[in-house]
Amino acid sequence: MNSFFRLLLVAVVLASCTDASDKPASVSAQPSPAIKITPRTNLVSSATSPDISPLDVIYFPADFPVQKMSQNGAALPVVRVIYSRPLKQGRTIFGSLIPYNDTWRLGANESTEIEFFKAVTIQKKRVAAGRYILYCVPEATQWTLIFNTNVYSWGLKQDPSMDAHRFTVPTRKIETVFEYFTMNFEKAQYGVDLTMSWDTVSASLPITL
Amino acid sequence: MKNIILGLCFLVSISSLQAQTMVAAPAIKIPALDKSPMDMAYFPANFPVLKIQDKVSAPLAARVIYSRPQKNGRPVFGELVEYGKVWRLGANEATEIEFFKDVKIANKKVLKGKYTIYALVNPADWTFILNKETDVWGAFKYDEKKDVVRMTVPVQKVAEPAEAFSILLDKSAIGMDLIVAWDDVKVALPVSLK
Repeated sequence: MNSFFRLLLVAVVLASCTDASDKPASVSAQPSPAIKITPRTNLVSSATSPDISPLDVIYFPADFPVQKMSQNGAALPVVRVIYSRPLKQGRTIFGSLIPYNDTWRLGANESTEIEFFKAVTIQKKRVAAGRYILYCVPEATQWTLIFNTNVYSWGLKQDPSMDAHRFTVPTRKIETVFEYFTMNFEKAQYGVDLTMSWDTVSASLPITL
Repeated sequence: MKNIILGLCFLVSISSLQAQTMVAAPAIKIPALDKSPMDMAYFPANFPVLKIQDKVSAPLAARVIYSRPQKNGRPVFGELVEYGKVWRLGANEATEIEFFKDVKIANKKVLKGKYTIYALVNPADWTFILNKETDVWGAFKYDEKKDVVRMTVPVQKVAEPAEAFSILLDKSAIGMDLIVAWDDVKVALPVSLK
């Protein structure tokens, strides 16, 4: 019975966490029973359906796992990001669903994870190889991207005492509306840009290799 | 009139200011959302949620990252997933399992770290294969020489078929079971955490 209640609690918390509209404070707040989603439960049935904000992975070099199939590929990628992709669904995202000057998990569900397979340089600072979680403080014209070492956590609550690096980058308006929050790596002269786009806003973090 | 011109100048200067900070970027090719979306499973289950609630009672032992193809009315095992062949246990990138401590599978020690997990699927049993080659696509370059451990387990039939391919990590007497469920089939790989 005890475990049933625990499962129920997790289900309720998951239900309240999955929508991107939740602010970090909503962990301790009363969850809204109106949000109906399928949590990741231990029940093996058709109920274990994929998440509304599906997980995705990006690599640099791009499509590393496919490249690796061609024998010529290197043994290890340079960097990998695992993140969840919330939808716009007709909502205004920045400055509305995601308020300015507040922490945003840069995705949904589990914290967005970035793994460097070798040390890199960002804004002249050395970033050691390893895993970090990423979160963001968006403003109208710039985003502050935060690398934090509290890995394997859920995105709604950050522990700033475990911040490793902070980088501020400008935002830009884009013509195409991104329905899904999208992260991708774009090759650059100095290495790679990690580009993040959602709604009509995009920001890029240059990474020197 | 002067006021209008001043006002116009003001507007122009504002919009040029904005133009400096919000430069319109060229159109970007948007990657479509995958048909077989990715998902994660942790042991202990829902570890990231427990972590931010300060309710972690056992250390993180394992994490699986996999993609979830849908049945979509198709017969799955023996058709879509062929018998007697090594299958990537999901879709797209090969399924990854990471142990955060040393474990035992089929009485063999498996060191903490990242592995690719495949399955050789048969009507009555599946052989799970842990392989050292990670960050790969599918099972196209599966190399038996890089196997770490293999274990054959029986297939169970379930009453309620699963539409989406599902992997979860569930508590067991010896540690955890890696449970795979799709269509009317369920298979469990026992993992000792002792």
